[in-house]
Amino acid sequence: MVLRIAQKEITEMIRDGRFRAAGAIIFTLLAGALLLGWQHYREVSAQHSAAQRATREQWLGQGKKNPHSAAHYGIYAFKPKVPLTMVDRGTDPYTGVAVWLEAHKQNEFKYRPAQDATAVQRFGELTGATVLQLLVPLLIVLLAFNAFSGERELGTLRQLLSFGVSQQDLERGKALGVAAALGLLLVPAALIGVVALTAGSGQTDMIAAIPRMVWMTLGYLLYFGAFVGVSLAVSAWASSSRSSLIILLGFWMFNGLIAPRAASDIAKAVRPAPSAFQFARGIEKAMQGDGHDSASERTKRLEQGLLKKYNVDKIEALPINFMGARLQDSEDHGNEVFDQAYSRLWAVFDAQDGVHRLLSAAAPSLAVRSASMAFAGADFPQHAHFAKAAEEYRRSIQRVMNDDLMRNASNTGVYLAGGELWNKVQPFEYTAPDAGWVLSRQAPSLTILALWCAAAAMAAMWTARRVRVYLT
Amino acid sequence: MIRTLMRYDWRNLSADRAPLAVAVVLGVAIAYGAFNGSEWIRFQNRAISEALAEEGERFDRIRNEIPKIESGEKTVSPFADPRQPQSFGRNMGTRYAVMPPAPLGALAIGQSDLYPYYFRVSTNSRETFLNNDEVENPVHLLTGRFDLAFVLLYLYPLVILAFSYNLVSSEKESGTLALTLSQPVSLRRLVMAKVLLRAAFVAALAVLLSAAGVIIGGTNLAAEGAWSRLLVWAAVTAMYGAFWFALAIAVNALGRGSATNAMTLAGAWLLFVIVIPSVLNVAIKALYPVPSRVELIQAIRVAGDESTRQGSKLLARYLEDHPELAPPSKGPGGPPDFGTLLVAVNEATERKVQPVLAEFDAQLANQQSMVDRLRYLSPAIVAQSAFNDLAGSSAHRYKHFLAGVDEYHRQWRGFFVPRILRKEKLNASDLARLPAFTFREEPTADVTGRAGVAFVGLLVAVVLAGIPAVMALRRYPVAG
Repeated sequence: MVLRIAQKEITEMIRDGRFRAAGAIIFTLLAGALLLGWQHYREVSAQHSAAQRATREQWLGQGKKNPHSAAHYGIYAFKPKVPLTMVDRGTDPYTGVAVWLEAHKQNEFKYRPAQDATAVQRFGELTGATVLQLLVPLLIVLLAFNAFSGERELGTLRQLLSFGVSQQDLERGKALGVAAALGLLLVPAALIGVVALTAGSGQTDMIAAIPRMVWMTLGYLLYFGAFVGVSLAVSAWASSSRSSLIILLGFWMFNGLIAPRAASDIAKAVRPAPSAFQFARGIEKAMQGDGHDSASERTKRLEQGLLKKYNVDKIEALPINFMGARLQDSEDHGNEVFDQAYSRLWAVFDAQDGVHRLLSAAAPSLAVRSASMAFAGADFPQHAHFAKAAEEYRRSIQRVMNDDLMRNASNTGVYLAGGELWNKVQPFEYTAPDAGWVLSRQAPSLTILALWCAAAAMAAMWTARRVRVYLT
Repeated sequence: MIRTLMRYDWRNLSADRAPLAVAVVLGVAIAYGAFNGSEWIRFQNRAISEALAEEGERFDRIRNEIPKIESGEKTVSPFADPRQPQSFGRNMGTRYAVMPPAPLGALAIGQSDLYPYYFRVSTNSRETFLNNDEVENPVHLLTGRFDLAFVLLYLYPLVILAFSYNLVSSEKESGTLALTLSQPVSLRRLVMAKVLLRAAFVAALAVLLSAAGVIIGGTNLAAEGAWSRLLVWAAVTAMYGAFWFALAIAVNALGRGSATNAMTLAGAWLLFVIVIPSVLNVAIKALYPVPSRVELIQAIRVAGDESTRQGSKLLARYLEDHPELAPPSKGPGGPPDFGTLLVAVNEATERKVQPVLAEFDAQLANQQSMVDRLRYLSPAIVAQSAFNDLAGSSAHRYKHFLAGVDEYHRQWRGFFVPRILRKEKLNASDLARLPAFTFREEPTADVTGRAGVAFVGLLVAVVLAGIPAVMALRRYPVAG
């Protein structure tokens, strides 16, 4: 029976010109967005890997220099693009693309791509994620808003129930019908996506992308399920098709446009982040020693420690280069300061994301957005993951340079190193976290989506059982 | 007659609880938006005053230190000597160039959360200090903010459509249309009365509540140009609203039922506010792709490496070009010091990178001019550009600021470079002669002029939607 109802629903939808038009528009936008995303991914990742090679060559080819000059010259780390960003670019346009790894300092990422775009960008970017999070739910609303109310208004609900069709079967059949209609649209689009993914990325990237893609798909399915459930529930509960449509459009609007913005502002108010000025100033002060334990005191302490350790009475007599030791000592101090400052800042961002998660109990778009960009590899925690890896690499360069100074430089003359030392620094290799890492962070979002879906299905069942049969 | 019609229509409307509910929702949204905008202004002002305070403290310290160093009471290494022009101009004595929020800044956050609003200008190349991005969770940048402009661009049209999607169709459906038109009143007059009433209600809501928002937001109305900007803001808001009313009449005039009207208008809203902007954004980026910043980084690096290698040669050439800056040659000859070399190396690097930077500027200008032309595809984009301009959160004002910063950067270098080359130490009296940055607000006429163009664009959109609406009303099937 359920199948037969679903079949009837599908036939009706396919014959309805409005559904065909809306479906065609959404499909075109989705396919277009995926192809554009694919092209963008290819271009940017080619640029980044070329630049990563070039920066390595510059490092190796910098000629004879003091190791500390080389440390100042430094190297750039370019954030690699991962294949699934063709579906969801997430926060990538709003985080910098490259960071300069130099001596003494953990730099900020530079050049947010959104700064090189016009204000039109702020209306939202046309990506697969936009279509899936914003437009597909609207289509669901349009397909399902009059599922029950329409039958009642036509008088067919009475007829159906008189045949002995149970309300639950009717509800399930309707849900299945909407799902099948969506499938007609989304499965081909997903296939396009998979083909683009296969054509666009190397084998290792591809294999890493598969579990991510599976989880992302699950997130979207739960999200759509929630929308189908809510739409059917409202359709059964509302007094007329008109009020059902108004309520559902209101919910769509709240979910997709109002809640995300309101959530941003609430999160900022609840867990304010420092200004860039305060952040930089805090680091600067901590580096200077904040009044106690200043740089000169530390140098003195280091000097005395070394003199004692090697049992000599002046720096010139040390078997190691004092300059190298002092530089490494100040790096060690700086590392502590940076670790503290950045972990504090990122904890604030984390807490803000927590506020978003809390609010996603009211608007599932917040949860699906978070899950989608996380599994695409374009959310802030993964940006921070890369930033940490780049910082570790920077620190390893400093250690190699300073070790060399300590061991080989004299305490009196000029010391220059060459290609051999530059080669001791391994090339920068970054492996993005795997799907399990993302899942451990996104489990709450997926749980909330599952709860939404379950609650909406239950609400649909419950209201279907109590659906009013007659027009009042 | 119109007044009678409006009176009856008002009775009808007020019998419903909907208008009150809408007024409350819109009111809360506007108040919340204005509050968020003003929080952002407060945040910026706090950061600015902290930065200026830091500069003040630094200068006080230097002012105290110089006499001590001069008298030999204190000894410092050449790198930490504030009298050395290269140390002072590069980091110790650098000053902030600040763009304070514009008078109506709280009304539209616009692009202002994406662009820096103060820089610490030094003698180094501009690329070293232009990356002063504000700390922000990127998710918030991605979403955009809940400010007054958001409410007006997205929610205000929906309120208008909710009031007018069944302007004529509901009267027809309840059978009162034929009855009313049997009186000596034309359909056009009836529609006019209904629209005027609703427009008065909605526009009053929007304008009054925005005014309340301005007050909540702590806008300084005494600031120069604030009133004229506010006036244009109100005019653009009214015209943007008028467009949605005209669209609603046009859809009503097609003679379909209320449900179809609602669907059609919701679709139009989606098209103008969501779909066209995002497609336009994609098209702009495809037609005028901005070169990659990754490649810019590489270009700067390659140019820098090359210049460093040629260092002393460059200095010689630089001094040939600027003989007036050459150090007195009678003095002890010797290898040029770090500071002098850096001047020449920076100059050469910047000259080499210039074409790459020019390409960025050119492509961005192309993008902007494409937006300026194609924004008329959607009144929402037109209104957004006007709102951002009037609130001073547009790319225009940022570019204006950057131009000022460039000029200041030139002055700053003009002050220090000759002293670096002449190896002339600064003294206490030089501190008072340092160039200072003052932000000159964009001329109000430029801003209101640009917004005025947007206003005219909206007016054209109203006419384009309105004329067919009025024509179609003439053929409206009153019965059946």
